[in-house]
Amino acid sequence: MKNQNTQKNNFYDEYLNDKNKPRRLFLSAYNYFFKQSPSKKKLLAKVRDSVIKTMGVTFRVYDNNKLIDREWPLDLIPRILKEKEWIEVKRGLEQRIKAINLFIHDVYHKQKFLNQNPILKSLILESPNYLKECSGVVPKNKIWANISGTDLIKDHRGKFYVLEDNLRVPSGVAYMLENRNVMKKVVTDLFNKYKVSPIDDYTSQLYTCLSNASYINGNKNIIILSPGIFNSAYFEHAYLAQQMGIDLVEATDLFLSKDNFVYMKTINGKKKVDVIYRRVNDNYLDPKVWIKDSSLGVSGIIKSWKEKKVAIVNAPGSGVADDKAVYAFVPKMIEYYLGEKPKLKQVKTYLCAFEKDMKYVLENIHKLVLKPVNESGGYGILIGPQATKKELKEYKLKIISNPRNFVAQPLIKLSTTPTLINTSIQPRHIDLRPFILSGNKTFVTNGGLTRVALKKGSTIVNSSQGGGSKDTWVVS
Amino acid sequence: MLSSIAEKIFWLSRYIERIENTSRLINVNSDLLLDIPHDESNDLKHLIKITGHIKDFKKKNTKENVFTFLIEDENNPSSIKYSIEMAKMNSRYLLTMLPKSAWEQFNNLYSDFNNNDKKNSEDLYQIIRNSQRFFAIISDGMQRNDVFNFIKLGRFIERADMLSRIIEDQILRKETHVNKYYQNLQWSSVLKSINGYESFKTLNKENLNQEIVLNFMIMESLFPRSIKYCVDKLDEVQKYLPKSVQIKKTTKKLLDGFSKQNIYKNDKKILKQLDNFQLGLIMLDKEISQRFFLTDS
Repeated sequence: MKNQNTQKNNFYDEYLNDKNKPRRLFLSAYNYFFKQSPSKKKLLAKVRDSVIKTMGVTFRVYDNNKLIDREWPLDLIPRILKEKEWIEVKRGLEQRIKAINLFIHDVYHKQKFLNQNPILKSLILESPNYLKECSGVVPKNKIWANISGTDLIKDHRGKFYVLEDNLRVPSGVAYMLENRNVMKKVVTDLFNKYKVSPIDDYTSQLYTCLSNASYINGNKNIIILSPGIFNSAYFEHAYLAQQMGIDLVEATDLFLSKDNFVYMKTINGKKKVDVIYRRVNDNYLDPKVWIKDSSLGVSGIIKSWKEKKVAIVNAPGSGVADDKAVYAFVPKMIEYYLGEKPKLKQVKTYLCAFEKDMKYVLENIHKLVLKPVNESGGYGILIGPQATKKELKEYKLKIISNPRNFVAQPLIKLSTTPTLINTSIQPRHIDLRPFILSGNKTFVTNGGLTRVALKKGSTIVNSSQGGGSKDTWVVS
Repeated sequence: MLSSIAEKIFWLSRYIERIENTSRLINVNSDLLLDIPHDESNDLKHLIKITGHIKDFKKKNTKENVFTFLIEDENNPSSIKYSIEMAKMNSRYLLTMLPKSAWEQFNNLYSDFNNNDKKNSEDLYQIIRNSQRFFAIISDGMQRNDVFNFIKLGRFIERADMLSRIIEDQILRKETHVNKYYQNLQWSSVLKSINGYESFKTLNKENLNQEIVLNFMIMESLFPRSIKYCVDKLDEVQKYLPKSVQIKKTTKKLLDGFSKQNIYKNDKKILKQLDNFQLGLIMLDKEISQRFFLTDS
């Protein structure tokens, strides 16, 4: 059969080697999909769609100003990772999140690391993610980012790099879990050919992690606080609540007693809340402290948190480390706090706040990807190699007028995997978001959520912008 | 259970019951039109009276306008469309509260209704079937928990309310047909609109008149669409809910007055009694809301 992945390029394809032959581990999966007739492929996709529909796996988007539920896009060709490789990544992630948590705690206490890095210090103190109200707080076990979702990519040689640490309210884990459930139903026979590491203990690990964050022992009331049905991740909030058997609440369900304990309103009267897994951003959490007219938060809750009357997960203020300038310092942090060499690579990052870096960036702007420090979701990014001369010139002026606001990175050529596009199989770019839980122990998911850019040549994997997903198989 | 969730379940259930009742009401009356010689314009507007928003109906009084208003008018709070949208809104919060199959069935109900632009009586039958299927899944396969109890609470309050409105309307309206024959036809169509014609006939083979029909619709404790049955269920479900003396008292009082002698023959008396009943339901609704939904902070 003719291989459709004939186009020679300088990306790393996870299934196919340089000679366009399937790598050994991938042979069964390769044969399973590449050797199907178009009608069988269509049938598989149809079965998948109906399974997803029946399971009700959706995400919410605005379409012509109307809120609609869209079926979750899952590509049936799995992302496969060797267990040996994954164990190394896992260790790297554990190391990284440990150092980051120590860093956040340091930022809100003695600022030792910042004092050694004055430029970083000044960047942090100006950053909107640094919340001075959180200074001096000691969350349980000194863990601030209990739940994180780190974005990883593979470069043109197939090596993993950390692209971003998501330490605020990372989403996607419900889709990771549901992808697996769909795959088990739709491609059962292929699934049986591999020894795939299970992932379905995530929600019990999450419960343990939340429970570890509590200030009290014994029976505790743990809840999820959601911004509500209009949030694009509402499905996930509801899913996690159900899987853990805990209540999903919105701000209006909560109130504070006179002595600053948090309660929820139930049909049996008020019930004390001990741990809040919040899926609401910092700024919206407490109208008394931050955004004044926030209806997604609970008035006075930060005070309760500071008095250790309720635990909030992730701790408010942990977003301070979720910043592109901080990212550049993570390798240094690992050495500083843990006395270890970083186990995971990350993308070389130039901080324009450093004169030397700015000079390099201005001279090489056409080769680099430029990012504003405090934006997320891909806003304000310039991809040098794809930009026009005029765009480059304008961006240079932006950098010069406010250097501290920009970082630059070399363009990484994201790896690809074969992806089912209608009835043909084509290479598409992917990334990976594993989830890391920090409690009494650190837990990393087996694999994570693989996101795939469904448009040809695109590297935008966001589901709101035409991205899809794949089940990730860590196999031995 | 969270108060806010209880409230949403209660209303989801009410809206689905309302959708079913309104659909049946429209279908039965549209059948009846075929049997009774009529001045078309007069005969259907009363349906809007039953459902409650006659003041909002400003169009010309034609069969088509009445039906459109009752079925599809988004701005009419008593239309099927409105109830379906409100139910949908509530259901979004209940993703994890309902059995998966019930959730899917509600989605079917919603998409079936929205698939067709021009609604005909078959679409209304489809709504009825979908609603019945929804409640069948609930009664047949659901854990008897608080969610179940609030579904029951909402459903039977809604049903009792609709029953009393249908009876009231029929009594007020019968004057328009002095001819006894047509009056009886109307009573039999009222029975059909509550899905009770066959049950009624097995109990009363010979007669069909106001007194007997009302006795059946109000006091027949073994028929699920009688007022007594609804009230019994409301009473029963309270055994499983957090205690409320007040709600229990109000429920018990609902049927007072219906067992008085000769009340079913006397239009004035029965209308007065139906009025009291509706006030009682409003009171009950308020008490439920205060006790369970608006927990003091």
